[in-house]
Amino acid sequence: MQVVAAYPITPQTSIVEKIAEMVETKEYDAEYIRVESEHSAMAACIGAAATGVRTFTATSAHGLVLMHEPLHWASGSRLPIVMPVVNRALGPGWNIWTDFTDSMSQRDTGWIQFYCADNQEVFDTIIQAYRICEDSRVLLPAMICLEAYILSHTYMSVSIPDQDDIDRFLPAYKPKWFLDIDNPVSHANIVSPEWYMEFRYMIQQSMENAEKLIPKIDKEYADRFGFRHGGLLEPYRCEDSDLILITAGTMATEAKIAVDKLRNEGVKVGSARIRVLRPFPKEDVRRLVRSAQMVAVIDRGVSFGMEGFMCEEIKASVYGEEDCPPIAGFIAGLGGRDVTFQTIERVARMAAGWLQKGKAQEKPVWVDLKE
Amino acid sequence: MTVVPKTRREMPVTTLSVPVVGSAGKTGFWRDFRPVWTQLVSPCSYDCPASNRLPQIFEAIRNGKPEEAAKILLETNPFPSITGRICPHFCENNCSRGEYDEAISIRAVERYLGDFILTQKDAKMFVETSAERQKRVAVIGSGPAGLAGAFYLRKMGYTVTVFERESRPGGLLMYGIPPYRLPKQVVEREITTLKKMGVEIKTGATIDKQADLERMKKEFDAVLLSTGAWKERNIGVPGEDYMMHGLEFLKQVNEERRGPPGTSVAVVGGGNTAIDVARTLKRMGAQPVIYYRRTEKEMPAVKEEIAKAKEDGVSFIYLTLPVEVSESKGKVKLKCVRMRLGEPDTSGRRRPIPIEGSEFSVEHDATIKAIGEITDTVWIPRSLLSKEGWINADPGTSAVSDNVFAAGDMVSGPSTVVQAIAAGRKAAVNIDLYLLGKKLGPQAKPEQPVQVGRMNLHYYEPQDRPKLREVPPEERLRSRGKEEDSTITYEEAEREAYRCFSCGYCRACGVCWLFCPDASIDLKEDNKPEFDYDYCKGCGICSTECPCGVIVMQREEE
Repeated sequence: MQVVAAYPITPQTSIVEKIAEMVETKEYDAEYIRVESEHSAMAACIGAAATGVRTFTATSAHGLVLMHEPLHWASGSRLPIVMPVVNRALGPGWNIWTDFTDSMSQRDTGWIQFYCADNQEVFDTIIQAYRICEDSRVLLPAMICLEAYILSHTYMSVSIPDQDDIDRFLPAYKPKWFLDIDNPVSHANIVSPEWYMEFRYMIQQSMENAEKLIPKIDKEYADRFGFRHGGLLEPYRCEDSDLILITAGTMATEAKIAVDKLRNEGVKVGSARIRVLRPFPKEDVRRLVRSAQMVAVIDRGVSFGMEGFMCEEIKASVYGEEDCPPIAGFIAGLGGRDVTFQTIERVARMAAGWLQKGKAQEKPVWVDLKE
Repeated sequence: MTVVPKTRREMPVTTLSVPVVGSAGKTGFWRDFRPVWTQLVSPCSYDCPASNRLPQIFEAIRNGKPEEAAKILLETNPFPSITGRICPHFCENNCSRGEYDEAISIRAVERYLGDFILTQKDAKMFVETSAERQKRVAVIGSGPAGLAGAFYLRKMGYTVTVFERESRPGGLLMYGIPPYRLPKQVVEREITTLKKMGVEIKTGATIDKQADLERMKKEFDAVLLSTGAWKERNIGVPGEDYMMHGLEFLKQVNEERRGPPGTSVAVVGGGNTAIDVARTLKRMGAQPVIYYRRTEKEMPAVKEEIAKAKEDGVSFIYLTLPVEVSESKGKVKLKCVRMRLGEPDTSGRRRPIPIEGSEFSVEHDATIKAIGEITDTVWIPRSLLSKEGWINADPGTSAVSDNVFAAGDMVSGPSTVVQAIAAGRKAAVNIDLYLLGKKLGPQAKPEQPVQVGRMNLHYYEPQDRPKLREVPPEERLRSRGKEEDSTITYEEAEREAYRCFSCGYCRACGVCWLFCPDASIDLKEDNKPEFDYDYCKGCGICSTECPCGVIVMQREEE
């Protein structure tokens, strides 16, 4: 990236502080633009990206929702901006711990959304994202979501490939069109009803293209650098499972432990991790749940008046499928409450109980909710 | 040309357009008001009798070009090292910065530039003289008005001869103003520059007969009269002859021709001459007492000088008027009467009225009167004089009669050096018009200066003006010639240039360009704005933001 514009917010601060420090010491050659708000950060990225340079920013929670308006502008302008979002709960009550509601409530802004399970994946996904976003078949911005504190403030040894290898995987960005004073055009200007729908349709098409491209890029990255993160959706021991637990982020890692434990007891359970929320892996989900008797979706966020975000998406994906299993929704870990393998084990046992009856509870279950 | 795709496949991924031909897409027609870049007059320039273009001067300093600043200053004031020391700085009185924190120290910057010019290898390089004009002008009197006239006439290319009665040129600058306020070397260096420009100065030239003037009128293509006002006015009291004359006293001291007239000296008057006399006496070891018929508030002397006189230890006795002077046993006896203030008179000051029965007497070694000067008119035809005894020159053109012009105190009565300089320049401009056979006319003066409310002061931090390094009173009293303060440094001048609000004069800051939400402002090479009225929607943000108030919103005509 050549331009970074960011505004600090806990728990994202350490990311932009480190970048600012590297720019200051010339370790890293980029233009760092200090701005007065996240809205301006995104506006600056949009302006920079429109001139054809690679841009980067990062935010969290209230910062992200303040950006809501330019988020639409970035995707509508088809600018491949990459932005880590450190998932944090929205206030009030004021809370700096993790929750997916911030980024998931931005799912309709036309941004690609990745949810990472560990720090290696965060690093690898940022590199992958530039490759995907800058692809002429896509040209959309992406959020790389990671949970506050669980990932943002814990250490993990991360393998960083050589710069040359990365440069070969991710060559310099060469946009087809950009703002150029020698060849002036106006950009993102007014468009009449006659053409507006077509532009929107092209965004939808790009999302569909991205759905195909993301697993390919993930595989290519794995072939080069050795890390594979599951493309759009990462299944774990699902092949013969009666019960499938679906979640995202670090909860999926805990789910694997719970699965191993239950498998030892003879329960035919598997888990799956939604890695990409947009474009939503509809095909992968359909294929996954086809053989199951029961699906339990654990959401770290809720769309008030409906249910968990992912549960909604999964239900919508399988609508009309034959032999569709019951899908049970669980809300867990809001505002940073721990979701451990034990939590997930309890969820699995409850879902397994419903499996016997052949019917799940219609309303989402709020896990560990106080009486 | 607008590229209109026919199918979805021809469309770019986002909305793009090439410049549109015709008015389509031009948002300028939405506008009700248009921003217009305009240059207004700053309060300092407006108040300066010489109309020094101060915002332009400060701009040049900000640009790191003191030479350019000096050149701009010389366009209106040929002697900045002189006015930079003694001017009562009318320019600072209404400085917009004064309401904000402290007025810009304009006089200190002027002095800096004046000294800067004089310390350069060739001070003449700041003045470009035009091609020779083959016409000759005589200037009679080499005070500030005459020298300023000579400077500008020479600059225009005329052959200029200055006639001076005394042995040294400079008039009041040389013989009137005491050296602790204006070192004589400064005056000499200014005159040297003038000579280098090609001005001929004839000293010891007596012109005191009407025939002399007639001869001059024939010998020269034009004559500028500028002999000033040197004659002491009469108070009209018995025994007045026992009083010495203030300006004459200063002249003799400046010529090193005399010492103090005694220890205890009464000085009568409240103007600059009175203060100069008292402070000079103090430096000669005498104990001066100033008698003034009104109070300090009404004193016409420069306020700073009154304050300094007090620091020097000069005594002041107010509301007191001498009504009779007599001499006995080597002492001068003053019979005085106490005054009270009545209704304001034509000068706006409250009229002093004697209090009956309040007479009292004092004794001093000597008495010096300094109640104002008049001009010596013996050699001027009566027809050219006003009722009050001043030269009757046209206020707009300085013309007196035929090829005779006049400037300075002999027209206006005692004023200030800067007013004399302004008058000299005005006369020069009109003499030029006259010699070119053109119609004379007064220079247009703007109706009013820009108001502080037009400016956006959010761009400035409060900041004090530089403190002048002053010599403490006990030290400065030791020598009559010791200058009382020093010239500021370039850094201080530069800081003042940055403090300047540049009222009504574009600072070339680019704030308008930065704020324009429609990218309808371009900055020209000099960083000043140019509006693209095809796209300007007339929002007025540039006008509101402009720190200098130079962008005016004008209603579009229907």
